Amino acid sequence: MDIFNIYLPIAGIEFNVLLLLLIGTTVGICGGFFGIGGAWIVTPALNIFGFPMPYAIGTDLAHMGGKSIVSTIRHGKFGNVDAKLAVSMIVGTTVGMELGAKLVLYLERIGMAETVIRKAYVIFLFLIGSYVLYDYISHVRQQKKIAISGVPAGPKRDTLAQKLNRINIPPMIHFKASGVRCSLWLPILVGFATGIVASILGVGGGFIRMPALVYLIGCPTLVAVGTDLFEVMITGAYGAFTYGVKGRVDLLAAMWMLVGAAVGVQLGTIAVKYVRGYFIRLLFAITIFIACSSVLLKQLELQTPSSILILTAGIAISTVILTLLVKGVIREKAAIRSAKKPLL
Amino acid sequence: MKCRKTSFLVRIQKFKIPFIILILFIFILPSIIYAAGGGKPATKIYNVADTRAMEPGLSKWIADIYNSSLWMYGGVIVLVMASMGLFIGLGMDKLVMLLGINLGKLDHHE
Repeated sequence: MDIFNIYLPIAGIEFNVLLLLLIGTTVGICGGFFGIGGAWIVTPALNIFGFPMPYAIGTDLAHMGGKSIVSTIRHGKFGNVDAKLAVSMIVGTTVGMELGAKLVLYLERIGMAETVIRKAYVIFLFLIGSYVLYDYISHVRQQKKIAISGVPAGPKRDTLAQKLNRINIPPMIHFKASGVRCSLWLPILVGFATGIVASILGVGGGFIRMPALVYLIGCPTLVAVGTDLFEVMITGAYGAFTYGVKGRVDLLAAMWMLVGAAVGVQLGTIAVKYVRGYFIRLLFAITIFIACSSVLLKQLELQTPSSILILTAGIAISTVILTLLVKGVIREKAAIRSAKKPLL
Repeated sequence: MKCRKTSFLVRIQKFKIPFIILILFIFILPSIIYAAGGGKPATKIYNVADTRAMEPGLSKWIADIYNSSLWMYGGVIVLVMASMGLFIGLGMDKLVMLLGINLGKLDHHE
């Protein structure tokens, strides 16, 4: 395997190209499918294989910028990106992140940052995962009831998003791609809240923004995925630049990872075509629980098992997504063939 | 031919607004990076790549830019990543279409 080793001049280490491609492809598939940046997979994966932590973060951000351009273009063509909504949210996110960063500095001053943040992260991930899973289970039960009784469900109770959308504070805006009409203040406030949480937890925010777009604003799942990726694209581009200026990006490693990620992200994005929104939510909940367990292991000072868990889980989830894609393509081809067959 | 050109221009127009926004926000989002990476402060004091034993090629080119100016290095990273992303993305698009997968607009079914 030594023939695949290359010298990375900036990080100053030898690294296996196949490993970079594997990490890139894995995070690309998950990122395109769930609408997340995937820093939670890449950073520990690079770090466990010998990348110094600052270089792992910087290199991850650099490849994230390129990867998100690919997935945003693809999701854009699918009609899954609501640019107007993403921009409205970014305004709130920026302010929220600034406030969150100040809170972190305060926690650092009183010496509680590490423990408080990690505990908050675990609790938060657990709550989001549980809610998404609960929502999926209720949906499946309802569908089963309808299938058994044969009677369509009666008028549904209003969801939280519908209630929030009705709050009439001008200016009221129609977000076409999402099919949502609400006060401009709603996405700004949701962006603000997710910004604070993302900043305190020190994550990109895809994990938080995607469910927030679904449950608070009322976006269809696929639009939530695409719109979130639009924000990740901006975050990644800025992150790549600023970490680059600080000299903490290994461009050669990022380029190799991007080759894998650009292919992976296309596959992940196309896979959303063949699954229903609720199934994406189910896989998303499982992914969140795995990320939650990984942070718990870190809390118990089991760094290596935590990184191994996250990398293995990333590969397993990507394999599931690829399987869904292949099955979907086979189904589609069969449907086209049978439609073309002349009637006898 | 003219029609093909027009549709290309229409496609470019579609992406104009996102890219203007991208450029604007690159300059006003200093705090976003914290949440994006959330990294610890770097410990390396000197940012120098050792190029003495390097053969001319991609690695040496990257290391030379890194050693000459970090601002330029930052700019090169964004440019390289964006153009690679676009190039591979569009290439993969063509490849997927050749495989006969329909890449048109989706219905948003839950």
